[in-house]
Amino acid sequence: MSSSNAGNRPEEVQLATSAHVKYIQSLDTRKDEYDYWLTEHLRLNGLYWGLTALHLLGHPEALPRAETIDFVLSCQHESGGFGAAPGHDAHMLSTVSAVQILAMLDAFDELEKRGRGSLGGRAQIGHYIANLQNRQTGTFAGDEWGEEDTRFLYGAFNALSLLGLLDLVDVDKAVKHIVACANFDGGYGVSPGAESHSGQIFTCVAALAIAGRKDLVDADRLGRWLSERQVPGGGLNGRPEKKEDVCYSWWVLSSLEMIGRTHWIDRDQLIGFILRCQDTEKGGISDRPGDMVDVWHTLFGITGLSLLEYPGLQPVDEVYCMPKSAVERVLSRYKK
Amino acid sequence: MADQGGSQHGIARTSRVRTEEQRRQDVEKIAKYRDLDERVRKELSQKRYTPETFQLTSKLLQLNPEYYTVWNARRRLLIYGLFSKPSAGSSPSTALPSSSLTATTTTSSDASSSSLSTATPPAPDPPRAGKSGTTADEGDGSPEQAEESKKAEQDNDLELIKQELGFTIPLLLASPKCYWIWSYRLWILQQAIQRLPIPIARRIWEEELGLASKMLIKDRRNFHAWGYRRHVVEQLESPELGGTSLVESEFKYTTEMIKVDLSNFSAWHNRSKLIPRLLDERKADDTARETFLNEEFGQIFEAINVGPEDQSLWYYHHFLMLNLVSPVGHPTIAPALTRETRITYVIREIEQIKELLEDYDDVQLIYEALIDYTLFLCQFLERKPDGSERAELVSWLDKVKKLDPMRSGRWADLERDCGLVEERPRMMTMAS
Amino acid sequence: MGENILADTLWDVVICGTDLPQCLLALSLSRSDKKVLHIDPNTYYGGSEAALTLQDADEWAARLSTQESNAVFKAPTISRSKSAPNLSTRAYSLALGPQFIHARSELLSQLVSSRAAQQVDFLAVGSFFISKAASDGQRHSMIRIPSTREDVFTTTALSMKAKRALMKFLKFVLNYEGSENADTWKPHAEAPLAQFVEDHFKMDLELRSYIIALTLSIDGKITTQDGLAVIHRHLTSMGVFGPGFAAVYPKWGGLAEIAQVSCRAGAVGGAVYMLGTDIKDTKTVDSISEVELTSGDKIKTRLIVKGNGGAEDGTDISRLVAVIGSSLKALFTATVEGAPIPAVVVVAFPADTLTAADGTANKSPVYLFAHSSDTGECPSGQSVLYLTTSQSPHSKEVLGLALEKFLGSGDEPETPQALYTLCYDQSGGQLPGRQADDLNMVLPSLPLSLAFDDTVLKPVHDAWKHVMGETAVDAEYMTFPERNGGMDDNDDDAYE
Repeated sequence: MSSSNAGNRPEEVQLATSAHVKYIQSLDTRKDEYDYWLTEHLRLNGLYWGLTALHLLGHPEALPRAETIDFVLSCQHESGGFGAAPGHDAHMLSTVSAVQILAMLDAFDELEKRGRGSLGGRAQIGHYIANLQNRQTGTFAGDEWGEEDTRFLYGAFNALSLLGLLDLVDVDKAVKHIVACANFDGGYGVSPGAESHSGQIFTCVAALAIAGRKDLVDADRLGRWLSERQVPGGGLNGRPEKKEDVCYSWWVLSSLEMIGRTHWIDRDQLIGFILRCQDTEKGGISDRPGDMVDVWHTLFGITGLSLLEYPGLQPVDEVYCMPKSAVERVLSRYKK
Repeated sequence: MADQGGSQHGIARTSRVRTEEQRRQDVEKIAKYRDLDERVRKELSQKRYTPETFQLTSKLLQLNPEYYTVWNARRRLLIYGLFSKPSAGSSPSTALPSSSLTATTTTSSDASSSSLSTATPPAPDPPRAGKSGTTADEGDGSPEQAEESKKAEQDNDLELIKQELGFTIPLLLASPKCYWIWSYRLWILQQAIQRLPIPIARRIWEEELGLASKMLIKDRRNFHAWGYRRHVVEQLESPELGGTSLVESEFKYTTEMIKVDLSNFSAWHNRSKLIPRLLDERKADDTARETFLNEEFGQIFEAINVGPEDQSLWYYHHFLMLNLVSPVGHPTIAPALTRETRITYVIREIEQIKELLEDYDDVQLIYEALIDYTLFLCQFLERKPDGSERAELVSWLDKVKKLDPMRSGRWADLERDCGLVEERPRMMTMAS
Repeated sequence: MGENILADTLWDVVICGTDLPQCLLALSLSRSDKKVLHIDPNTYYGGSEAALTLQDADEWAARLSTQESNAVFKAPTISRSKSAPNLSTRAYSLALGPQFIHARSELLSQLVSSRAAQQVDFLAVGSFFISKAASDGQRHSMIRIPSTREDVFTTTALSMKAKRALMKFLKFVLNYEGSENADTWKPHAEAPLAQFVEDHFKMDLELRSYIIALTLSIDGKITTQDGLAVIHRHLTSMGVFGPGFAAVYPKWGGLAEIAQVSCRAGAVGGAVYMLGTDIKDTKTVDSISEVELTSGDKIKTRLIVKGNGGAEDGTDISRLVAVIGSSLKALFTATVEGAPIPAVVVVAFPADTLTAADGTANKSPVYLFAHSSDTGECPSGQSVLYLTTSQSPHSKEVLGLALEKFLGSGDEPETPQALYTLCYDQSGGQLPGRQADDLNMVLPSLPLSLAFDDTVLKPVHDAWKHVMGETAVDAEYMTFPERNGGMDDNDDDAYE
């Protein structure tokens, strides 16, 4: 770890915690903005991004718990899967967000009582997710229409392990699939043959972590590649010769953390970059300094800062992208 | 979790205070959008799989190509309304994939293990009987009539497939990173395989290479387009489309893309993936393989000679070096090289790279490569760096530490490990 | 146009001449409520930038020969090949002063924001070549000048070491204004660029000739400061509109087409146009100019804008335009994946590579622009060559030699022939413009460069401000909304 102290920074680049909290709270009140409607297909994901950010900022109560649970459950289908909003088709991505939100809110008991489907509760969700596994290759589809991507594989592992139902799927086969996605540079792509990409590296390494198979990662080679994502100015890019972007503060950094190489990049410079992407007045964080903020970059700026042990933030779990405390609480149920 | 298109990228932050006029315009746009959305939902809830409903989804998707539920609705509209129908026997109502818009949410569980790959064709599509539902029910047509109606169905489906391919192009050009459009387009192409005679389906797929090229001219690094290209190539090579290998032309394509932009790591990456197959299919003997490896080394060194600060080029050089020092455990270019030849090549590369320092004495990646490859050599020879190597390593590392303080933690680890190289065999192995 | 309108209107501005600067002024005023009268003594648009049919060119040359003095053009000669007596005059559009436009030129931004660009077909300007004598000293061959990292990578004409020198220079130019690099070149700002690259980048004669060719410097003596700026413009323009090219050329005669399109925009906006009409006499009454036109019309205007009619002290060049009876197909090829087929390529003959009959070698480079028939300047199956060099007693002979070497350098079994050639001298304006006052403004002519020089845009902007007076808002300059205000059509054609 770098020896200098992240808290010891000039006044103008402090984390604007209260502005960010207000920004996230305001997101569901923007119904007179066209964009609010155009992004309805991300409502449940957005809720997860906002809620996680709030938890890490130390304001878990900033969104009303009961209403949040009600909304999440209103997005569920009989199949067990969740859509992005009521009336939207079920999809892996929104289903994972739903599970993560319910886990963070410690609301699995509500799920058991009110969840839809003949199996109900966690079992129905587990059933939905397990059915999306490609039994031949081990990877997962996003929904019944069959798009496959290691994002969905990670999502499945994330949600199933939080539900304590990882044994519903063929973990070994999925692990083999991830190994097939590895490239000579130590990274991973969306599918076998695809170029290494920081986002995909996160999904693959985190899935291996959940499966307990981090030993399959070539940590030195991957660590080099990941550390080379830091560009002058402190930000991280997602692939060689690309521009930096706050979201890679998460994808790259969490991956470095999982393989024990976070100290291979310059922590203070990255903190500085993330803080420069804040809208300190109205809250929110953008991809690069001076750009429009959104809740997605806001979350990944904050999770990045949390991994960098920025003072005042709750520790984030580098595998689940949720508060460590919530992950520990949920997973401890299944241990013994 | 990952970017699904809702995030803002590269859009300048502006004052978020709207004028009264802007607010009024927004309200108007919202009303129009929601009205359209409502109409689509209503039509679908009443299972009106008609061209009119289809038109409404077009309008909605043009406003919002990220609305994945509407793309799904469009698929259902095609399957249950517009494409030629499956014959009696497979009941559409039970095979209907779940749709929230229609509120009939029963999913056949098998449907979800579908895949776009050739190995597992999408399950949601009801099996084709090659007859439209209506004609099939209308009595006992002659073989000619059956042939004719089959032809009419294929024409109908071909028309629809072409229309859908045309519909998605402007949307892709406007949103080249929208997952949903790419995946819908692939689904349509899959329909071509299922519903059309092979030669026609093949022609449709062939045109997709042109689209992939076009998209990659607009954005040479778009990983959607690269992935799409690989998928299209795989399909075109498949027996399903009566295909043969495209590995030579795809390899050539990476050469062309590199000539446009040396920094295009996506092209270098694809090249690294194509080479093993290329050599196999050429039935290259050991000499041919060695020549090939040499030519690749020559080319990448030419590139490094003009762009030594470019990571993409060094990654590829690294890939070639791994072929020399780590011959086991992954497809390799020249597996039969003798130990001596390998050592000669590694030393040759190191010497060449040293020459670069004459003109580029402040390029970090050159020093990194020298360190890496010297360590490779020592590992390969199963010995510690000798006195002069050690002195060089120290001086190169000093230079790297000065040039790149950002990664000082990594250099500290490397420095520590330098004396212990032979105890870290994992640097020699590949993950795959 | 009724005479009474001419006479009864108090014009806000009378623009005289349709050289590009005057036309751009008309474009900038096209959406204003200003009353604009635009006249030109010529019967064609474009002034010194005009594009002429063969008949126009014949007449133009004949007229010039009878004129006592023309400040801009002199000594025209025309020759026609006996083997091609019947060229269809209207099938040609020969540019008097062809210039291409770099992708990063402000002119293109203005044409886009003013929507005029929608009326213009822009064609790609492809590679730059050096024509080099082969070892036997006779036959010339052409070598592509590498100007991007990828070119340097691909070329086989340079050693590894020379490639590194060139790359160092190209990188230096890309950031030549950065403080560290500026410290290197500023002390040599006024010294010749050729000297600078020799001293600081150890470039040999051949590499230096590449660099000078990239600057398109007419006398080859461009200063370090100017040369770096020009190459910087070239490098940063590369790839902006697509792979493999840095500049564009408007179809149908280059800048003449921009001039015409601008006038059309002016006319749509209500400006009145009169060709073949000049100002005969002017007098000032109560801060208004009363003008008598050569047409006999008498009009009143608040402002008169003229061109400076060429310069007394500018560069003097000789030009040769040749219509070639071959498409020169091998020349117009895309160099990289996804690059468009170029319509224009540039060939430079460095100084001292062409020897006149009396043994004198050319002191200045010769530049040859080859235009394919895609430019619309000639019928398909033919091409047009535009050669330029500094004026000298030998310049016309040198141009002829360059033409001959060029035509002989191809691989075709039969050497392509010139069907029609037009040769003339031109003097160009680098003058600060004539004295202006409240009633008269003078726009400078285009510098006689081979690529469009943005410096002429500022005086046009100033003239626009003057006409607009208090209503001028700089942010609105040359920025117009879509005419019909309707929804943009769905661009289904964007993908071919």
